[in-house]
Amino acid sequence: MIGFIRFADSLSAWFGKAFAWLIVLMAVGTGYEVFVRYVLNDPTAWALDVSFIMYGTLFMMGGAYTLSRGGHVRGDFLYRLWQPRTQAKLDLVLYFLFFFPGVLALIFSGWKYAARSWQYGEVSINSPAGVPIYQFKTVIVAAGILLFIQGIAQVCRCLIAIRTNVWIEAEEDVFETEDLLIRKANEAEKGSHP
Amino acid sequence: MTDPQIALVMLGLFIVFVFLGFPIAFTLMAMGIGFGYFAYYDEGRMWRTFDRLDETASYWDSWTTWLEGFANNRIFDLFVNQTYTVMSNEVLTAVPLFLFMGYIVERSNIVDRLFSTLNVASKNVPGSMGVAALITCALFATATGIVGAVVTLMGLLALPQMLKARYDPSFASGIICAGGTLGILIPPSIMLIVYAAASGVSIVRLYAAALLPGLTLVGLYLIYVIGRSILQPSVAPRPTDEEVPDVPARQLIVMILTSFLPLAFLILAVLGSILFGLATPTEAASIGALGGIFLAFIYRAMTWQRMRESVYLTVRTTAMVCWLFVGSYTFSAVFSYLGGEQVISEFVQSLNLSPLMFLILAQIIIFLLGWPLEWSEIIIIFVPIFLPLLAIFEVDPLFFGILVALNLQTSFLTPPMAMSAYYLKGIAPPEVRLTQIFKGVMPFLVCVFISMILMYVFPQIVFYLPELFYGR
Amino acid sequence: QSPLVVKMQTSWPASDIWDEFAKDYAMRVDEMSAGRLKVDVLPAGAVVGAFQVLDAVNDGVLDAAHSVPVYWYGKNKAASLFGTGPVFGGSATTMLSWFYEGGGQELYRELTQDIMGLDVVGYLGFPMFAQPFGWFKGEVNTVADLQGFKYRTVGLAADLMAKLGMSVAQLPGGEIVPAMERGVIDAFEFNNPTSDRRFGAQDVAKNYYLSSYHQASESFEFLFSRTFLEDLEPDLQAILKYSVEAASTANTAKAMKQYSTDLAELQAGGVNVRRTSKEILDAQLAAWDELITELEQDEFMKRTLDSQREWVERVAYYELMNAPDYALAFEHYFPGKLAL
Ligand code: NA
Ligand code: NA
Repeated sequence: MIGFIRFADSLSAWFGKAFAWLIVLMAVGTGYEVFVRYVLNDPTAWALDVSFIMYGTLFMMGGAYTLSRGGHVRGDFLYRLWQPRTQAKLDLVLYFLFFFPGVLALIFSGWKYAARSWQYGEVSINSPAGVPIYQFKTVIVAAGILLFIQGIAQVCRCLIAIRTNVWIEAEEDVFETEDLLIRKANEAEKGSHP
Repeated sequence: MTDPQIALVMLGLFIVFVFLGFPIAFTLMAMGIGFGYFAYYDEGRMWRTFDRLDETASYWDSWTTWLEGFANNRIFDLFVNQTYTVMSNEVLTAVPLFLFMGYIVERSNIVDRLFSTLNVASKNVPGSMGVAALITCALFATATGIVGAVVTLMGLLALPQMLKARYDPSFASGIICAGGTLGILIPPSIMLIVYAAASGVSIVRLYAAALLPGLTLVGLYLIYVIGRSILQPSVAPRPTDEEVPDVPARQLIVMILTSFLPLAFLILAVLGSILFGLATPTEAASIGALGGIFLAFIYRAMTWQRMRESVYLTVRTTAMVCWLFVGSYTFSAVFSYLGGEQVISEFVQSLNLSPLMFLILAQIIIFLLGWPLEWSEIIIIFVPIFLPLLAIFEVDPLFFGILVALNLQTSFLTPPMAMSAYYLKGIAPPEVRLTQIFKGVMPFLVCVFISMILMYVFPQIVFYLPELFYGR
Repeated sequence: QSPLVVKMQTSWPASDIWDEFAKDYAMRVDEMSAGRLKVDVLPAGAVVGAFQVLDAVNDGVLDAAHSVPVYWYGKNKAASLFGTGPVFGGSATTMLSWFYEGGGQELYRELTQDIMGLDVVGYLGFPMFAQPFGWFKGEVNTVADLQGFKYRTVGLAADLMAKLGMSVAQLPGGEIVPAMERGVIDAFEFNNPTSDRRFGAQDVAKNYYLSSYHQASESFEFLFSRTFLEDLEPDLQAILKYSVEAASTANTAKAMKQYSTDLAELQAGGVNVRRTSKEILDAQLAAWDELITELEQDEFMKRTLDSQREWVERVAYYELMNAPDYALAFEHYFPGKLAL
C-alpha cells in the first residue's frame, strides 16, 4: 500500500510540476504580446487564447499534485483538533461520497465532452486566429485520471492512518516561505532545548 | 418539499459539511453533484435503455445497462461544462501570474533591505520601528499579495529587532499581523481578481476603487501606531544609536535608491499599466513576474532552486484557488437551477430592510464567516449569494466589493482561524504568547471598522479614482 | 395540474433588453398553453456561461436556450452563415424568410443534427436591425482612416474587419468601456442603440456610425433539446414552435420603440450619429468577396451560400424594385432631418 502511495505521489508530482512550467511560458508569451503591441504596433491574434489555455491546463493538471501535498484548503478548525485516526475515518467515507463521483464524471462525461470537440475540430471563438481548443478540453479527462489515481492513494493513506494513527506524509519538495521558516524556527528551538 | 426549499437545504448542509474538514473544493463539488443528481433526476430518460432490455438479457448485461442508466444523469454533463467555464475564465488567468510574481519577489531578499532602510529613514518619528515595519509590510504585501509570507518574513526580521528595542510584544506583533494582511486589499491583489471573477465587476475598476481605501487603512494604522507611541512612549521606545545607527544623508539616499525604488518601480509599473489601460491585468502580471525575476537577478538572489520553488508553489496555490471555483460554479449552477437565489431574494425583500440595514447585516455575516473561514472560501462561495440582492437595495457591486475586501482583513486576525496570528506565533520567540498577539491585533480591527464606516460616509473614497480614470 | 417547467437560459445578462425579449416569448407560451407550460427564463451564467448554451441544450442540462448561432461558430464556422454571413442585398427579414421558406431550416437541421451530430432542434426568430459599424473617437470617412485601429467585434466580423486593415481585439463585454477609455482599443461595435447605451458606450466615444455589412441579417436562435421537445404532447410542441413566430413580431415592435428612443437619447446626449461612408461599405463588400472564396472551400458552406444567393437574387430583387422610396416620403414630411 505504501508503495502505491509513493507511486501515486510521484506520478501526480511529476505531471503537476511538468505543467507548472507553463507559468514561465505564460509570462514570456504574454510579455511578448505587450512588446509587439507597443513596440512594433502589431498585436498578436492568439495571445488571449493561448494565455487561458495555459492557465487552465496548469491548474487542472496541478490538482492531483496539490491533493497529494494536502494543498486543497479545508475548513479545518475542528478537524485539526482530532486524532489522525478520527480524521482518517471521516476522510475515508468522504472520499467515496464526495470525491470519486465527481472525479469519475470528469473522466467519463469529460471524455464525451472532449470527443465531441475533437469531432468538430473546435476552435476558440475569441479571435480570427482560430486557436484549437479540443486538446484543451481533453485536459479535463487527463486531470480526472490523475485525481482518480491520487484519490486511491489518499484512500490507502486513510486506511493506514486508521490502523497506525499516523498520517503518511508526501515527500515534501518545496515549502511556502512561512512553512519553511516556521519549520526552521521549530528545529532551532528543539536544538536549543535538548 | 419544493425545489427552492431543497436549494436552501443544500446550502445549509454545505455549511455543516464544511466543518467536517474535507477539502472544500470537493465538498462543494459533491453538494452540487448530489443535489444536481436529484434536480435532474428523470427515471424514464435515465433508464430508457434498461427498461427496453428483454427478458433474455444476461445478468451481466442487465447490471451494466442499469449502471449506465444510473450514470446517465445530466448533472455530470453540467459539472464538466462548469469545469470548462472555469478553465476558460479570462479574469482568472491573472491569478497564477500574480502568484508567480509574489513567490519570486518573496525569494529576492528584498524585504530585509527595505526594512533596514526605512528603519533608518524614520528614526526620528515616534514609534519609528513600528512605522518602518508597517510601511515595509504595505509595500511588500502589495508586491506579493501572499499573506503568510509577509507575516513570517517580517516576524523573523522586524519582530526581534523591535523586541530588542524594548517594544511592547503585544504592540509589535499587532503591527506585523495587521500590516502583513494588507496585501489582500491593496492592488494588485489576488482577492480582488477573485471577487471580479465571482461578481463580474470589472477588475480594472476594482483596482482603481481599492487604492484610496487601502491607503486610508494604512493611514489609520499609522495614526494608531504613531499616536499610541506619543501617548504611551513605553510601548515603543526610541531606538538607541546602537540599534539603529545614524546614517549620513548621502548614504541614506543610496540605500533608498537601491532598496526602495526598484520595488516601488515594479509595483508602479504593474499598477500603472493596469490603471492607465496600457495592459490588461493578465499582461501587467506577466510584466510583474518578469520584472520580479530581473530584480531578483540584480540582487543576486535568483538561484535555480528558488526559481523551481516559485514555479511549483505557483501551480499548487493556483490549483487550490481554481479548484474551489470548479466546485463553486457547479454548486451555484445547481443552486440557481433549483431556484435558491429567488427564494433568498424574496426572503430578504420580505424583511423590509433599509439599504443601510442590509449593508450592515451583510457585513456582519461576512465578518462572522471570517472567524472560521478564510477569504477565498468566503468570496468564492458566500459572496455570490449576496450579489443578486445588491440590485434590490441599489448597492453598487463595486462599492460592496471594497467593503468586503476591507472586512476580510479581519478574517486573518480573528480566532479561531487567525492565520496571521498563527504564522507569527510559529516563528516568534516562545515568550510571545498567542493571547498577546490577539490583544495587539484588537486596535487594528478597530481601525478596519473605522475605515469601513469612513467608506460608507464618504463613498467618494471608493468612487473617486474609478470615475476619474474611467468615467461614470 | 402543475405546469411543466421549461428551463430556458439566455446568452444575455439580466440587464440587457434582450432579457425582456426572451420573456416576451415565455409569456406567450405560458398564456397559450393555459399554464400547462411555464418557461423559466434564466440569465447568462445562471446555469452555464453565455457561450456554453449549445453544449448544455444538447446534453439536456438546459431544456432550451435563447441565443444566436454565431456564439458557437468555434464548433463549426458554418454557424455564422445563419445570421452573420455575407450580405448579398437582403435584410434580416429577407434572411429569416430564407430560413423558413428558402431551404435555410433544412440546411440548419443538416448542420446541427447530421454534420455535428447534435441532439437539438433550433428555430430562428426576431429579424434584428442591421448592426451599426460602431463607436469611434473621431470621424472615420475613408478606409485609410481605419488603418491600425484596434477594433472589438466577434465572429466572422472579426475576419472581415481584419481584412479592412484593423487589428481586431477580443475583449469581454464588461471590459470594453474601460479599455476604450485607456486606449487598449480605439473602436468597437456591440449590437444596437439600447444595449450599447446601457453599458455606457457613449461615455467613451462620441461618433456612432450606423449602417454596415458586418452583421446585417442576424436573428435570435431558439434552441431546444430534441428529446425534451419530442417527449411533449403535439399541441405543446406546436406552442413552443409557433411562439417563436409570435415573439418575433412582439420583439420587432419593442425593438423599434426602444432602439429609436435610445438613439434619440444618445443624440441628445451629444453623440454624433452618422452613416458609414460609401467607401468603407465598398471595402466591406470587397472583403466579403475574399472571405466568401475562403468559406466556399467547405462543401456545406458552399451549398448554403448558393442557396442564400439564389434566394436573395430573386426575393431582394422583388423587395427592392417594389419598395417605394421611403426616404423621399420621410423627407417630405420631416424635412432636413435625414443625413443619408
Ligand atoms: Na478568522
Ligand atoms: Na455585433
